[in-house]
Amino acid sequence: MRHATRRVIATASAALVLAGCATVRPGPAGPAAPSASAGTPAARQEQDGILKAAEQRLVAECLEAQGLALPPASQARAPAPAPGPAAAADARLRTALFGEDPRELSLTLATGLTVTANSDGCVASARAELYGDQTRWFRAQVTVDNLRALAQARMKQDPAHRAALDRWTRCAAPSGGPRTGRPEPAVAERCTRESGLADVRARLEPAELATVHTLHRDQVATYEQLRARALRRAAELSANPTRKKGTDAS
Amino acid sequence: MKRLLGPATAALLALAGGLTLTAPAAAAECPSGHFCAWEHADFGGQRANWSGDDGWWEGWIADNDSSWANHGISGPGVKDYVRVYESAWQGGSMTICLAPGQEAGYNGAANDRGDSHIWATGC
Repeated sequence: MRHATRRVIATASAALVLAGCATVRPGPAGPAAPSASAGTPAARQEQDGILKAAEQRLVAECLEAQGLALPPASQARAPAPAPGPAAAADARLRTALFGEDPRELSLTLATGLTVTANSDGCVASARAELYGDQTRWFRAQVTVDNLRALAQARMKQDPAHRAALDRWTRCAAPSGGPRTGRPEPAVAERCTRESGLADVRARLEPAELATVHTLHRDQVATYEQLRARALRRAAELSANPTRKKGTDAS
Repeated sequence: MKRLLGPATAALLALAGGLTLTAPAAAAECPSGHFCAWEHADFGGQRANWSGDDGWWEGWIADNDSSWANHGISGPGVKDYVRVYESAWQGGSMTICLAPGQEAGYNGAANDRGDSHIWATGC
């Protein structure tokens, strides 16, 4: 599918993103964060749990107000409901959770990816209450979440990566003809090792991650700032379990 | 090893993963708790939906994905983010990472490149 106008918009937006923002939260494999608010991976994980618990609680309250409920955890990986009453009920739940069109939140990244979300719905309202500014949080979250994808896209432009990928392809499809399927996991793994692709990636990716962090440092700073705000808000919420919705906004 | 999708396979997949033919719609028709990929931009054409991981997408959607939606349900410790990779078994580069509630109607870079995905606690 080709969309010339979308591509122009994407390019323009990507330029804006590069001009205006950028960076990454420190992951276990990522470079050290330039900001001081990083914390250890274990501390980040604990914070993630606090934030998700708070969001889940706010979402559950929002659904409850509409006579709906989150599906039990045991159904989290259930098959999609068959057409009929179950599908209709799921459509209602889906709209309550994720909102209705138009998608008010949108950001096009340097990779060409345009991510959208609705600003209504229980998930959106929970995030608005936690993070304070839904639009700023969306832009920062989408940017930071996709820094690794951006770094990997940049990495693929490197001549060393191109050469290793060529070796990998010859290894995985030795006939030279078009592949009729995909390599089995064992073959793919062996070729990644033998072609040197794994080594090239291990060498290039940290540098590219550091670069995209720097390019997007403004959004990374916003991400950390709003996350800290959400953690404070989550602490307030857990200290006030019987609050009345909307009366204790900070 | 090309995996072909026969009617019997399709019926089985409809139970496990899911195939639905949908017209291009204004809203992303993706069941709650699922990650969906469509063969056309703006959530059009045939849809694949998964509630779990898939290391090797079926032939009709592999490298033929043009829009995506994450309708995962969040919670503490829940793998609610979706990472899409350009090669089977999560090899190659990540093309897209979506938080629950996020959708991508078009992506010039990831278009027709997805081959596998996993649910994760983050990107």
